[in-house]
Amino acid sequence: MLTFVVGGAGSGKSAYAERLLAASPGPRYYVATMQVWDEECRRRVQRHRAQRAGRGFVTLECSRDLARLRLPAPGSVLLEDLTNLAANERYDPAGAGPYTQEAVREGWRALHRQSPHLIVVGNELFCGGTDYAGDTAAYLKLLADLHRCLAAEADNVCEVVSGCPVYYKGKEPVYGPV
Amino acid sequence: MDAVILITGPLYSGKTDYARTLCPNPAQICTDAQTLAADCPDLEALADHLAGQYAVVTVTEVGGGVVPTDPAQRAAREAAGRLGCLLAARANTVVRVFCGLPLVLKGDLPQ
Repeated sequence: MLTFVVGGAGSGKSAYAERLLAASPGPRYYVATMQVWDEECRRRVQRHRAQRAGRGFVTLECSRDLARLRLPAPGSVLLEDLTNLAANERYDPAGAGPYTQEAVREGWRALHRQSPHLIVVGNELFCGGTDYAGDTAAYLKLLADLHRCLAAEADNVCEVVSGCPVYYKGKEPVYGPV
Repeated sequence: MDAVILITGPLYSGKTDYARTLCPNPAQICTDAQTLAADCPDLEALADHLAGQYAVVTVTEVGGGVVPTDPAQRAAREAAGRLGCLLAARANTVVRVFCGLPLVLKGDLPQ
């Protein structure tokens, strides 16, 4: 069961995705993709950690090369998030660069092979206009291609609006045992 | 001609691909109609024209970000949103395409 959760900044998408993970069979893994660059990153990580505290999730850090990540045991996974992963692959000198599209797709596929229940979080970034300077338009196009590809492969796709999921495909997953 | 179908959605969400599944004739599809709204003196007339001329019209949702500081961009963004509303009012069917997935917001898809 593959579920894709998309939402804008502060939409409640992470909290909703974490609720889905909490309702899924254990062991439950939280795959964190953010590279910590500065104080703001550290604060954001702290807030998300506090949000997850006490829920029994095992956090695995993976900022790129997701296809090589090995889970300690089959279980349920929340991958947060696609946007960071794609940016790390594209812009980190050690990342996949021009092969970001392939690296990210193979990443979620490899993860799904190890985890029957996979939840992926993505950011809705595509309603803010069409005129972007420099590399931004190319990065947005890359992300949008990844979103459409993941949505096509997913069983369930929703956009979270003010904490409320709107399903475009499938429905809120009801999990059986792993 | 069938009544116009409006397809709305974010940038690069798959609106045009979806429009082609509804209408095989590219000449009957108007894509990114919101670009026509900037500098348009009469949005009602533009909406009438588009609804009469095309089987399917797509608009990209551009009103979601920070208000642009440039007055012309600000006006264009406002006009784009208003044109979307005017087209939706004229359309029998309105579909939002998100990550390539259609969601019917108004009416029914043609059989």
